Amino acid sequence: MTETRIAAVADIHMGEDLRGHFRPKLHGIENRAEVLLVGGDLTRHGTVAEGRVVADELRDLPIPVIAVLGNHDYHSDAEQAITAILRDAGVTVLDDEATILSLDGTTLGVVGGKGFGGGFAGKCASEFGEPETKAFVRHTRQIADRWRRALKELDTDHRIVLSHYSPVKDTLMGEPTEIYPFLGSYLLAEAADEEGADLIVHGHAHLGTEKGLTPGGIQVRNVAVPVIGSAYTVYCLNGA
Amino acid sequence: MDAPHYVAARVQRALAEDERTVELGIRVDVRGNQIFLRGRVSAPERRLLIEDVAREAAPGLSVHNEITLVEVREPGEEEHL
Ligand SMILES: [Fe+2]
Ligand SMILES: [Fe+2]
Repeated sequence: MTETRIAAVADIHMGEDLRGHFRPKLHGIENRAEVLLVGGDLTRHGTVAEGRVVADELRDLPIPVIAVLGNHDYHSDAEQAITAILRDAGVTVLDDEATILSLDGTTLGVVGGKGFGGGFAGKCASEFGEPETKAFVRHTRQIADRWRRALKELDTDHRIVLSHYSPVKDTLMGEPTEIYPFLGSYLLAEAADEEGADLIVHGHAHLGTEKGLTPGGIQVRNVAVPVIGSAYTVYCLNGA
Repeated sequence: MDAPHYVAARVQRALAEDERTVELGIRVDVRGNQIFLRGRVSAPERRLLIEDVAREAAPGLSVHNEITLVEVREPGEEEHL
């Protein structure tokens, strides 16, 4: 039984002033984990220049790096350029799709995307009323549908969902409840619960807490830097 | 004087939209003529910058900067799921 060790972090919010600050903290990561997941908010303003800083911090790591973008990375309408810069640096950027890694005889599937908000069952927005409200909720629903399809097609030993927004309330504890609908959506958890996954990793909620569980029993971890207080955290999945 | 509610909203919005901060993770509470800033950031300069932007958005009020620094430590023990 070999273990698969997953390193994960989110909300590194790089800018030119932080160039060279993050990379040294990843030194030796290949001895601690088989893969690094980065859960969005890689930049502060979502500019191409900041995207280049992120790419340089993550370039040529000895283990595969899989990332999604966050809301900050969309702020300057340069998300496609940032995605391309990261891919050039060897980072796998997921935009509501899956990737499969073969690690030491174990296969790991990661489905990821930025996710979106809407709130949590019983206290959430629905596709009703003005077009703006419908568009907001529809965006999340369509993302959840794409994740559901991607998970359904994944036939790997382990499956992980990588998101920026949260799928559950548990990991938002510490954030004002009034803003929960902007921090995540239960639709993201529902998709994972229907198709099954070993772990959901997210960020975005800087004031939240690390550990949670979906209603279906999937472990959820908020790995935003201010929450974990380190360059990454490692989660071990049992051998398949 | 503006109602505390609107002052807090104005400061929160300035922190989010000012190019210098673009900060969404700070709690802003206004009591009387005092503003309380709470949250966690990664660099001391950033902590002060947030205070500056808050002060500019609410001139004349006294700002209590209770923002703490996130110390980015070495990764701790791994967790077995
Ligand atoms: Fe963030
Ligand atoms: Fe975010």
